Amino acid sequence: MSGLKREGDHVHRLEALRGITPQQPHDARAIAALAANPGCTRRALMDGAGIDKDAAARHLGFPAPFGQSPFAITRGNMFEALVKADGCAELLRMLRELLGLPVAEVSYHDVENVGAHLRHAHTRALIDRAAREGQDAGTLYDHPLLSLDIAGHTAYLEPDVVAFQLGGRFHIVEIKSFAVIDGQADPSAVAAAARQAAVYVLALRNLLEELGHDPLKVSHDVVLVCPENFANRPVATLVDVRKQLAVLRRQLTRMTTLDRLLEELPDDLSFDLRPDEDGRPTRPVAELADALRRTTARYAPDCLSACDLCFFCRDEARQEGASDLLGRQVRDELGGVASVAEALGLADGTRDPAEGQEEIARLLRNAERLRRECLN
Amino acid sequence: MSDRLDDLERRIDELRAGVRKAMRVRDGATARVLRAELRSAERAWDALVSGEQPRAKEEPQAPRAGQVTVREQVHQGLRLLGAAAQPRLIVAVSDAFFGGTIRSSRLTSLRRDEERSFRSSPFGRPYYLCAALTDRLSPARGLLTLSTWPLERRVVGPLSPRVDFLTCAIAIAEQESQDERAVRLLVRMARNIPGATDGSLGPPDPARVVEAARAELRVHAERDTRDRAELAQRAVAQLGDAARLFGAATLSTIKKEKAE
Repeated sequence: MSGLKREGDHVHRLEALRGITPQQPHDARAIAALAANPGCTRRALMDGAGIDKDAAARHLGFPAPFGQSPFAITRGNMFEALVKADGCAELLRMLRELLGLPVAEVSYHDVENVGAHLRHAHTRALIDRAAREGQDAGTLYDHPLLSLDIAGHTAYLEPDVVAFQLGGRFHIVEIKSFAVIDGQADPSAVAAAARQAAVYVLALRNLLEELGHDPLKVSHDVVLVCPENFANRPVATLVDVRKQLAVLRRQLTRMTTLDRLLEELPDDLSFDLRPDEDGRPTRPVAELADALRRTTARYAPDCLSACDLCFFCRDEARQEGASDLLGRQVRDELGGVASVAEALGLADGTRDPAEGQEEIARLLRNAERLRRECLN
Repeated sequence: MSDRLDDLERRIDELRAGVRKAMRVRDGATARVLRAELRSAERAWDALVSGEQPRAKEEPQAPRAGQVTVREQVHQGLRLLGAAAQPRLIVAVSDAFFGGTIRSSRLTSLRRDEERSFRSSPFGRPYYLCAALTDRLSPARGLLTLSTWPLERRVVGPLSPRVDFLTCAIAIAEQESQDERAVRLLVRMARNIPGATDGSLGPPDPARVVEAARAELRVHAERDTRDRAELAQRAVAQLGDAARLFGAATLSTIKKEKAE
């Protein structure tokens, strides 16, 4: 009973944080970005409350050059159409080569053939049948619609294709238009694709569990399809997303147990933009910025490619001279030294190390000595 | 010169009447083509009256684009393929074998125009470009078929996309065309059929492609034929003439139509 009550409180508190601003639904990209910076309280709270971070950033005067360019979207759609053309002919070839899909397995279901409002139910029915009957149930499911519970709200997700019958297991197929050149692709693009695919794997596993099947029927190996070299010819690779899955799961549980984070917040705190009838935010910018500064962010340069609020947090980190600006690796090495000024002070000896900082102070002094020797 | 003017004026009158007729039966595709012809005829008339020579660049494309309508080009493509196909493939075939001028963007409204024309005067045309039917007897997304085909060929079961792809590949290979575009199309299709290429980068042997595609077809044929026969039976039993050609409305399209 008390648990129920606490949960109610927490939902209520999150709604207060959002205020009257309409809720922003999560998509796979946004959920994947959660896993990119799990230590950021500001982001956890804003996502938990379903706040439109893009609108907030624009209102604060720090719009992020974020989202995909229209050219990239067109290119992505074209490549996806090419892979899926003629009953997924290209995809079948790759699955046959990569995973030894038997020639007889070519069955194709386009979930989008039912109306949009039925798509999720239809996906459930098809996946249920596939998991129950195994053989003969289907091989490729195009345009499925999965759902995932994010902090009490349902997010709908659309993986590119779900493939079944590769050894009786489901595989998520993710089609991306960045090129694999000589067997090498841009690592950050692959990492982003893996995180996004992990969201789909998790959603599909949850679905199977709800239907009473073994969730491990969904493989943690996702099939990543990219153009090869400089041509448009697609090539498939298997990507293991176990690590991304673990991070994602941890982050999602953390979002549903936001209580601890919420308890530390002052009662009157709200991130409400107070939109007027036309949806234009009316809240004074300084007031909103103050409210945001009362939550701790954990800025890292990687945020620039994953979070709408990145410029706001970077500006804040710059004003504080925080060591976060120098990237995760430096920040971790400087453990316990929060600002750049402090680190410099420790290095040239103008500042005495506090308790627990002796080790890092010694390293910094050594580094400073070496630097001087090199320069002189 | 006045002879040519008289000819042009007669042609303009005919075209105007044609446009009017097409609009009356709400046949958008035909109307568009006729309008384009009307405009070019009017331009030629203007040029003649004012003594200018019609610009040269309009002449070479006029005979081809004007005489064969988009609808006719799609019909040609589908007849060659002999199976339900996506607009993208139809365009490629039309381009490779008939010197076609269509682009896939022009095919988007085609099916709706055909349906409108059929509803206003049923079976008024020798053939209609129509939908493939899914297992729910609704129109399948992005597939075109011909009304003259038996219903079994126009429904799609789970295996049908693959079977249709193989059928299309066989049809293209059997053309044995030396045209560069046709060869490129065949290369693209052969790549996705096991055993159709010898692994080299050169153009595949059409006979080998046909054989490989037939071999894979044999694996799927029995189940696909059974699925299709069952679907076709259901379509005959449950659907009226228009729905049999253009698919039964799904709930969402009914909602949309009501909203309009």
